[in-house]
Parts: sequence; structure tokens; C-alpha cells
Amino acid sequence: MIEIRIHGRGGQGGVTLAKLIATSRFLDGLSVQAFGLYAAERSGAPIQAFCRFSAEPITNRNLIYEPDHVIVLDPTLIAPALTSGLKPGGWILLNTPQAPSDFAEEFADYRIATVDATTIARDNGLGTRSMPIVNTALAGSVCRMLGFPLEEMHAALDHLGFQGPNISAATRAHDEALLLDAPRRPDGERLAVPPPGEARGPSIVKGAGAAMPAIKTGAWATEQPRRRQMIPPCNHVCPAGNNVQGFLNALAHDDVDKALDILLRSTPFPSVCGRACPAPCMDVCNRVELDGAVNVRQMERFAGDRGHADVGPDARRSERIAIVGSGPAGLTAAFHLARFGYRVEVFEAADEPGGLLTAGIPEFRLPEDVVAREIRRIVDLGVGIETNRRIDRPSLLYLTRRYDAVLVATGLQKPRELQLGLNGTQAVVQGIDFLDHVHRGDVRVDGEDVVVIGGGNTAMDAARSALRLGAASVRVVYRRTRDEMPAIGEEVDEALEEDIRIDYLTQPIVLHEVPTDGARRLYRLTCRRMEPGEPDESGRRAPLEVPGSDFDLACHRIILALGQSPDVSVFPEGTEVREGAQLLGLLETPVFAVGDLATSEGTVAGAIGSGRRSAVHIHNALSGDSIEITEHADALRDVDEWMDEVAGAGDMKLHLFERQAAVEGGDLPVEVRRSTFDEVHMGLEDTTEAARCMSCGVCNECDVCCTYCPEGMLRRVRHGLEFDYTYCKGCGVCATECPRNVIRMSQLSS
Amino acid sequence: MTVQVVTGNQAAGHALSLAAEANRTARGAACGIYPITPQTEIVEYVAKFPFSKGRVVPVESEHSAMAVSIGASLSGARAFTASSANGLAYMAENVMVAGFYRLPIVMVAVNRTLGPPWNIWADQGDTLMLRDFPWLQFYCETNQEVLDTTLLAFRLAEDARILLPALTCMDAFIVSHTQTETSMPEQDQVDRYLPDLRLPHRMHYDEARTVGGLAWPHEGLSMRLEIDEAMKRTPAVYEACRQAFIDIFGRDPGDTIQPYETDDAETVVVATGTMATTAREVVRKRREAGRKVGLVKLKLFRPFPEERLRDACGSANRIAVLDRNYAAGAGGVFWQDTRAAFQGRRDDLLIQNYLAGLCGGDVTPAVIETILDDLETREAAGEPVWMGIESGEEVTQ
Amino acid sequence: MNATAECLLRPGNTNCGGCGMSTGLTMLGRALADAGDSCTLVIPACCGIVTAGAYPTTSYGVPTIASTFASSPAVASGVATIRDLNDEPGQVVCWAGDGGTYDIGLATLSAAAERNENIIYICYDNEIYGNTGGQRSSATPAGAKTSTTPSGKREGKKDVMSIMAAHRIPYAATLSVAHPGDFARKIAAALSMSGMRFLLMHSPCPTGWKSEPADSIELVRIAVKSGLFPVYEVFDGVSYRINVEPDGTDPAAYYDRQRRFGAGEIDLDATRRECAERMARLRVLAERFSTD
Repeated sequence: MIEIRIHGRGGQGGVTLAKLIATSRFLDGLSVQAFGLYAAERSGAPIQAFCRFSAEPITNRNLIYEPDHVIVLDPTLIAPALTSGLKPGGWILLNTPQAPSDFAEEFADYRIATVDATTIARDNGLGTRSMPIVNTALAGSVCRMLGFPLEEMHAALDHLGFQGPNISAATRAHDEALLLDAPRRPDGERLAVPPPGEARGPSIVKGAGAAMPAIKTGAWATEQPRRRQMIPPCNHVCPAGNNVQGFLNALAHDDVDKALDILLRSTPFPSVCGRACPAPCMDVCNRVELDGAVNVRQMERFAGDRGHADVGPDARRSERIAIVGSGPAGLTAAFHLARFGYRVEVFEAADEPGGLLTAGIPEFRLPEDVVAREIRRIVDLGVGIETNRRIDRPSLLYLTRRYDAVLVATGLQKPRELQLGLNGTQAVVQGIDFLDHVHRGDVRVDGEDVVVIGGGNTAMDAARSALRLGAASVRVVYRRTRDEMPAIGEEVDEALEEDIRIDYLTQPIVLHEVPTDGARRLYRLTCRRMEPGEPDESGRRAPLEVPGSDFDLACHRIILALGQSPDVSVFPEGTEVREGAQLLGLLETPVFAVGDLATSEGTVAGAIGSGRRSAVHIHNALSGDSIEITEHADALRDVDEWMDEVAGAGDMKLHLFERQAAVEGGDLPVEVRRSTFDEVHMGLEDTTEAARCMSCGVCNECDVCCTYCPEGMLRRVRHGLEFDYTYCKGCGVCATECPRNVIRMSQLSS
Repeated sequence: MTVQVVTGNQAAGHALSLAAEANRTARGAACGIYPITPQTEIVEYVAKFPFSKGRVVPVESEHSAMAVSIGASLSGARAFTASSANGLAYMAENVMVAGFYRLPIVMVAVNRTLGPPWNIWADQGDTLMLRDFPWLQFYCETNQEVLDTTLLAFRLAEDARILLPALTCMDAFIVSHTQTETSMPEQDQVDRYLPDLRLPHRMHYDEARTVGGLAWPHEGLSMRLEIDEAMKRTPAVYEACRQAFIDIFGRDPGDTIQPYETDDAETVVVATGTMATTAREVVRKRREAGRKVGLVKLKLFRPFPEERLRDACGSANRIAVLDRNYAAGAGGVFWQDTRAAFQGRRDDLLIQNYLAGLCGGDVTPAVIETILDDLETREAAGEPVWMGIESGEEVTQ
Repeated sequence: MNATAECLLRPGNTNCGGCGMSTGLTMLGRALADAGDSCTLVIPACCGIVTAGAYPTTSYGVPTIASTFASSPAVASGVATIRDLNDEPGQVVCWAGDGGTYDIGLATLSAAAERNENIIYICYDNEIYGNTGGQRSSATPAGAKTSTTPSGKREGKKDVMSIMAAHRIPYAATLSVAHPGDFARKIAAALSMSGMRFLLMHSPCPTGWKSEPADSIELVRIAVKSGLFPVYEVFDGVSYRINVEPDGTDPAAYYDRQRRFGAGEIDLDATRRECAERMARLRVLAERFSTD
């Protein structure tokens, strides 16, 4: 008599395999038995099945304790215990992609056969992905292993109603089985079989037990959930390096102070950026695919305006650092260096700090008191700001002797010119100069027809300021199309609402004065129509002139807003000015350029990012620390893995989110706006909008996984999720349901 | 305590109600009830009783009647019900559960013929069908015995040494619907006789415990063994309950085995229920005529009082076992167990089975006389004898 | 060990991976714990009692009674009676499969409802006799292949909610584990009432449905969003409220992802019509007999 014991998991078809083997022997004229050992176990639990066949009638009605052969349906069940009672020299058939020789040492007393029945079953579409039914494949391997003709197994399969893919699976597994045909350990060295456990004897009366089951269902798992976080696209693109996902998540939980605290780790200017940032994060927001980007800018403003945070400093250090320029880059560097504990002095050429923030962005977009409040937070850290101190080349050298490090953050000060023929006269002014005068209140344009040339924020700000100062008309001339305008889209929309006219694809050529009788001097601006050509190196379509399309505009004033370039005259000739590069290499004291001066990014957020990076760079250089700035959200540190990939919309399970339109803040009515410098945007009233953040690729502790886990074995431990792998059956529900794809299943090997 | 003229059903209803009411100082009482002829009067009686801490739940089936009682009993309350015939068959699954859960539920059963054909008259086949379940079974011959045994059954079933449910059985109509004088106890007597029920394995709402889930063979085996141990303790505990009954009520509820004129008897009749009354009368008359004949009335059927039965039969060499039941293909149930009790001990003994009063047939003294005449002239025991067939007359009450 | 609803279903239970009943038990436990309540479970023959595991251990963190297949509402009646007679806290909850509810136990359930017993009855409806290896029940939907309907069930699913509502019990509601907020709210609502409360939970069964365990929640979500399994509640058998409106999801996705349905063997147009009619009928009821 031959006896076979089968080890498998509920659902894999172990009992059916026993029946198949028995049936094939029965068709060969033998007496057979096939049976399972049934109890409470369910799909996935380790189970056993048995088969015996003999030329004599079988009279044994007991379980099989000393099998001739053992078959293992699941790779995760391969363990020394499976040889319990197995007669020396018997076959062990393993479902595994590995070769028999890999198990030669572990099962030295036995003959070993292996076959990758899982792949064969999956290829034939048998069972589900997580639970392939491998029995019919293994039936083929059994024939090979025991030397039975495959045709007999085909007959048995047919007898039990298996067709098509099952037959193919059996055939392929027959052919692909690998055999190691001789045991390697001499007889007599076999390990002793452990005795069966002793029976216990409590009863229903004495108190049916209350203890937990002893079954560790983690042993059922063929896959386990792991957390892998990705980089949210907003964090990835934020020029300031803000943890956008992080502060939105804090706001979503109505924790405004925490939101501000997260923002202050990167930027000292959340209230400023919450008004003046072009918000590239909103362009890449995955929510665009669903119902529109999260209104990040307004949420940053909310946190900046309403939050309270203690900024330190964390320590006191003796080193002194000089910063030239008090624009956003310089002040950001000052802020972070002061938080590290350094003694920081800022030198500002103008009579007030803030650089572009105060002089370059008009009140209706960025009120002075907002800037003042955020600068005060920096000053309160102990940062000294000396105004009316212009630093030239000699004074820079002086600083390098007095300080342990010097940062130069003088931004973009040289406006670009466009020669129209009357440059240098009062007919043509530069946008940043105009805005500075607006800020000081010493410019008049009432009753004038104003033409602004350019498509950036300075152009919009100048145009809208001119309107508010009483200009009779304002028109903007831009040589490309709306799509290429670098100005913030909303600002363009608002300018149009305010009746500012924009002439796209229009190139100013020349300006002539027109004689008049009146007190005002009148000019004629000749322009030429353009058409979009091939994309240039910036990716934008280069404008091409349309011959014969010239036309004239009458105006009283031209404002040029074509951008600025850095003034590097403070440095020795030929110095390469870029971020992170040490300047004036002959001196021991490091001197760095920072912000727009070094990067020419031209945005407040970019300047902030540069300021922060430089601060960290200097700190690392002075202290020997090695602080790294990452784009990763820090909501959940205890993850299994960080992936260096940005979470795209395809990584999100968008169908699990309810559609919900973005919350837009209120604006001043257009008719009021035209005559006041009061702030246009009124801000949001609450944090509702933050809850729209999908937290792409980052666990935001939504706890959906805990809610759905059938085992209840997923627990939240402080700011981590604890998977209890002792009990996790690896069903994968948490992975399917995680809306942000943080949880993924990974295959377990044996 | 007053003597009243009541039916067997009313006597049973009175006993169940007073016993349930007696547990008002503990966790109270409840039962599921469902009517079936000829038991209906019992559930009507308890439905009318003004319980101070109890609830009668009128359910949709016997199966649920026992289920409600199981729920109440598992919660530590005194629980009971009553049924008959096909109702018991329908209830059977939960009857079994009550036993394996070791719940001291008391059920009064009116022995009625299982149908079809439709027949409402006496036959013990219904309760004997349940004989292999872990239940105590008593067969009573009078209204008084029904009442007394029902009360005693609560005390016995609830004893910590026993914790098994109990069936009190009576013949349909002959007892259930026959009005006769019965001594009806007062509540305070019953209160004294039945202490507050303290079920050791009752469910507590704040205790995580599962009853009735899966158990491996060795666990199940030990539970079965405990049932057997409780069964073995039953005769001794019964005797203690009987003495306490006598102390409080001044009346003997009767021994588990009741021999009559068996001391020197050569011939003994073994009978249950009302057949025992008739047989006793026949025996008395034959004794007067100098015939050495006796009677053993089996009151307790489960556990089967094997040893007491052997002792009671003394040196008799012929035994007639009267069965008002028929186990298809195997004769009468009492006969099977009686034969087994003597197997290997008295191989000289002639034990003959008489199937009498089946399907509600009336067992008259003449029937018993016929049986005794047959027994006394027998050379050897034979196949069970079907009474009431040869005459060609079907007599019903 | 003291009972806690918080850990109503303990680790180490032998339920299949991805079992919807497990998720339901976990959600029930949390909802009870949130309300500061607990329960005694009465479970008839079904996967739910096998869940308890082998004596003397138990996977249930609350007192649990195994009843016979048809008897859970009757046993619960007895337990609740004695609880109420003794002024004890805690709910008595019947936790039964569709076999025990729609089929063998329907008379018992109907009677307990008619008596307005003070119990909560939750049917976890996986539309199959799962414990016995997958036979049809009267909850099995048309077209599903089971071991007793090898070529697909011809009859549709019994509308047990209508049957229960017709008893005019205080509360009858459907639950979906894909809508945990609604689930928790309904448990809380049931806890705040007394008398018979009937809850029907659509319970994904990867083994019986021949679906991916990981898809369990997604499948019942599709069932809700397509109108295959309406999520609604009925008060006193009279007033209706729809809790989750379908969003036009095509029921085809439900059928495609379960191998119990033969590919291309379901009349999807008819199914879509039925979904629309089912919801239309409920909307009429919810409008005509609203809860306001």
C-alpha cells in the first residue's frame, strides 16, 4: 500500500488532488482512498489531505501518520515539519520555482521533486491571483514523480469533470517537473518524530474557555502589505520646498498652528506666498483630474494669517553671518540661520526691509502690514536689519573679515530695456521703478492713457496700479499669447475684469511724440502683429512678425515690464555667480550668492527655496552637520519604504474620492477695485478646502485601511500603522482600499 | 396545601408555574410555549399565571419554544416548557442542544402517538424517541405523581452534581385530561423546596466566553464522559431530593423503581405509567388467589436504573415487560433495556415483551391477565407479542 | 476574560482572507464600543460560529452562544428576556448568515419580529451557503453558479428587507461594509432603539464568489453604486430613507470580477433595468413616506 499526505491551504484544492491521484489509481484497478481532514479552517489556512492505494482491498480507516510520499501545494508551507512521519526515501513534491537541489540539505533523507505549479496555474487561468488552484498541475507532476503514465491522470481528470486548462496544466507540470531521485543521508540518521500532544480535558460546564485562539494566521499569508510612500507632486514642484501635503493635512484636521509650524520649517513667508505665489503646486495637483486643484495658495494664506507658532531659536551659536539684501531670499536665509542659533546681520540698501516684497508688489495684492508682520517674526528671532546700507565691492570685502560667512542676496535689480527711441525720457518708465513710486505715493497718472509692455506679474501689477491711480485707460501689450504669459492666471483674469485691455501677439517697435496743444505730452507707439512660430528653448512658441501689420497706439506713458537681471558688479570680474558656489575663493570666509541673484528664478517662492538651501548649506559647512532637505512629506515617518517617485494621478485611486468643487475665496467687487489699493482677495473663512487634498502617495492617517481590515489587525500606533504580521492573512483589502496607494502587497517567498 | 380536583395537565401547569415563580428571588424564569393536543392545557395554565419575575413567550413552533427556554436557561433563569408527539419530534434538535448544554430545563411531555396516521391518544413512542439525548426521563401514573415529579425534577436537574434537563411524562388523556383529586402545594412550600437557581456555567454579559463552538474529539469526549458521570450520580441525588420533598410536602413523590409484591415473586410484570396502575391491581388480585406474582414500576427511565431493576425482580424467573411503544424492527424500548440489564447475569431468566396499549389502545385488567397467563405457560421467550391484535377488536378509550 | 466589544473579533480567527463578515464584525465591535455598549452574540450554524474556533479558545471577545440553525432569534428572545427581567446592560445580537435568515430561520425570525423582541438581528448576506462549501440559498442572485446550481441559479434573490419591513418592526436597514460611516451610524441608531431591529449586511465572500480577496470591499461598493444592493432604512415598516444614492456605476463591473457568474451569461440589460426599477421603487417610497 502507498500512502500520500498532501499539505496545502484551504482553497488550493488539496483534497481534490488526493481524489485525482486516487481516481487515476482506481482506473488502474487498484483499491483506493482519498480524504481530507476537515475542521474550522477556511480559505488560506494550512490543511492536509490524504490518499492511499493498494492492490489489496484497503481496510484502514485511519488518518495517515507515516506517509510514503508528501506533496506540498504552497511554497510558504515548505518547512522541516512537513516530513513528520515520512518514510525515508519517500518523495517530497514541492510547488516552487526553485530546483530540487535547493532543498537537498534540508530534506536529506528524501527524494525531491519540484515544479512551479503556481505559474502554470496562473498561466492557465486556474483560481484567483492570490489563490491559484494548483492541484491539477501537481497531479501531472505526481505522475512524473511516481512513474505513472500521464494518460492515466488525464483519464482521472476527465472522470472528475476537469477539462481544458486543467488538462494543459497537468501536462505542462508533468513535463516541467524537476526530480532529484535519491536521498542523500544514509539510513538510520533520521530525526525522531515528536510524540503527539497530550489531550486536555476541560468541559462545557467548567467553563468553556475565554482565551484567544492559538492560531497564528499570519502563516497563511502568501503576500504581505507594506507601506511605500511617494512624493506628492505639490511638494515636488514647490520652489520654496514647502511640505504642501503636510500643512494641508494639518489644516484638514483643523490644526492651524501645526500647519503654520510645518510651513515655517521651509518658509518664513506663508502669508506672503499665500497671496503672491504663482502656485505651481496647483498646476500639478492630481485633483485636477477629478474636480479641480486644491486651492493651496489660499490655504497657505489661511495658515500664515491665522496660525501661531514658536520659532525658537533652538540653540545659540557664536558664529556671525552677514546677509546682503533683505528681499525674500536674504530674509529666508536669515530666518533659518537664526533658528539654527547663528547671529545674523542683514544689510539693506533701501530705507526699509523687504526688497521686492515691499517695493515691488502693490498693496492690493500684498498689503504692507502682512509683509511687516512676517519680517517682524524674523527680527524677533534676533536678526539685525541695517537699512540704508548699500554694499559695494570694498564693503563686501570688509564684511568677509568681520563675519564667519557672507550671503549676497541682492536679487534682480537691472531691468531689461527695450529701445523704442524715447527711452530715458519721462515717456518711458521701468515697471519696478513705477511700482516703487506707487508704493511711496509720489507718482501721478490720472487721466493718462497708459501702455504697459510685458506679460509678467510686474506688468499686471503696474497696469492695475496705474488704473487705481486714475489712468484714463490702461492697455497691456504682449508679444506672445495668453498661454505663454508668466503672470499668475488669476491676476490676468482680474486685470481683464478691471477693464484693462491686453493686446496679445503684439510687438512694440518705436515710440514717437505727437505734438499737442495740451499740457500733457502725447505719444504714438507703433506696434506690429505677431504670430506663434516654432517652440523656442523655453518650450514656448517663438513669436514671428506678421509683415505689413503695423499699427499705432496713442498714449501718454509707456511702462516697461520685461523682467530684470542680476547686478553682479559687487563681485570681482568673471565670478561665476550661482547658488551653492563659494565666491571670492581667496578668502577663508565663505561668501555665497543666494536667491534670484544666483538662480534668476524670479519668484518669491524660488527665492525662499534658495534662501533655505543656502542657510542649510552654510550651517552644514560651519557645524559639520549633514542636514538634508527632501521633498518627502514627513507626516508618517515609520514607513517601510520611501519611493523616490512622484505620485501621479495614475497612482491615485480617484474613484474612491467624492467629487467636491474647490472653495474659492471672495474678491472685492470690480467696481470697488478700480479705485482702491485695498486687497482684492479676501481669503477663506475656514479650512474646508484643505480636506480636498488627496494626500497623494502619502499616508494622511485616513485609517481606511484600519476600517476595512477584516482582521482588525491593523493598528494605529502614534504616527505609524502597525501591521500585525503574526495574524495578517495577506488578503490585500488594505492595499486595494488605500486611496493614495501607500499600501502595496509584496509577495512572500518560502 | 389543598386537595383539588384537577386534570393531569393542570397539575403539571401548577407545578411548572410555582417552580418558575419560586426563582423570582434569583434571575427569574422564562419559557417558550406552543400548543399541541393533548398538552395545550399546560401552556394555557402557565400563560395565565401572574409571574412576578418571569415571562412566557408564545412562539411559532416547538423548535423555538425550546430555543427560547435554552436562551433563558443559558442566562441563568429557570426555564421549562411542555410538548407532545409530533411537537417533540419537531423540537428534537433543540431538545438535544439543551442536554448537551447541560441546562436544567424541565419539560412536561404528554405521551401521544406519533403520526401519521393522525392519532391523539396515549403512546410513549414520542418521548422514547428522545431516549439517547442527555435528558432525565420520568414516567408518571397519576396526576399527583406528575405534579410531585415535576417539582422534584427542577431540584434534581438544577443540582450542581447533575445539571441535566428532565422530562416528566404522562399518558395522554388517561392522565392529562382526567380530573381527579390532587394535592396542590402552596407557593411558600415550593419556595422552600426549590432554592434559587445558580447555574454555574451561565452566560455573563461581561464575560467573553463562547458556548457551542467547535471542539476536537478529545474535548467532546470529555464532555460526553461528564454527562455519563452526572447520569450515574442521578439515583443518589434523586433520593436526596425525594427525602427533602417528603420533609416539606409530607408526601412521597415515589422511588425511581417501585416494586410491588416482588419479594417471593416467581413472575414479575415490568410496567410504566398508567399501565402500572392496572397491572398492580391485577397483581393484587392474583396474590389474593395465592399466585406468586409481582410488579415493578419503572418511574425513572433515563438514566436506566439497571441495578435497582435487577434487585427489584429478586428471584423471579419470568418477567413480562409491558411496552406502550414500538421501536420499529426492535420491539419495545423498555424490553430492550430490561433484557440488557440481565444479560450475562441471569441467563435462566425468561423475559417476554408485550406491546400493549399502542396507538392509544386501552390496557384493561383483562389485557394484563392475558399477558400473565401467557407468561406463566411459556416454555421460552419469543418474539414480542402484539396485544389487541388477535381479538380483532380495536378498543380505544 | 472580560468582554470588550472593542475587540469583538479577535486575531487568530480562521475566517478566509478578505472575508466581508470579518470586516462587518470588526465594524460592529467598533460601533458598539463607540457607544459604550456591548453585546452577547447568538449565532446559528454558519461561518460565523465556526469563526469562534476550537474549544476552549474563542475568537469572540464578547459572550457568544451557538444556536441551532433556525433558532437564533428564539434563543436570543430567551437571553434578552432574562437580561430585561434583571435590568442588565448590553445588546443581544443575532449574527446569522443568509441561509439562517432567508431560508431555514425565516419562520423563527418572522415570529421574533412579530413579537417585537428586544434584539438586534444582523444578517451577513454572502448570498451562499458558505459554511457547507457553496450551495445556493434564496439570497443567491440569479445567474450565480453554486454547487447546487451548477449551470447558474434561475431564480432571483428574495427581498428579505421587504418581508422584514412588512412586520412593522421599529427599524430595518441595509448595511454595506464599503460605507463604514453609514454602517456605524445605523448601528448607533439601532442601539438607541428597543424592540426588534433588523440589519441586512451585504457580505463579500471571496471563496464563494470566486473573487480576489483584495476586491471584497470594492465589489460591494459597486453593488451599492450600481443599485444592485440599495442602502436604505425603514422605520416602523412605514417610512423610508435612501442613504446612498447610486451614481450610475455599471453593474457589469460587479459581474465581471466574480467567477461565480459565467462570462457573458448574465443579461446585463435586464440587470440594469432591475437596478433602475429597484431604486425607482425605493425613491417613490422614500418620497411618499419620508422620515421627515
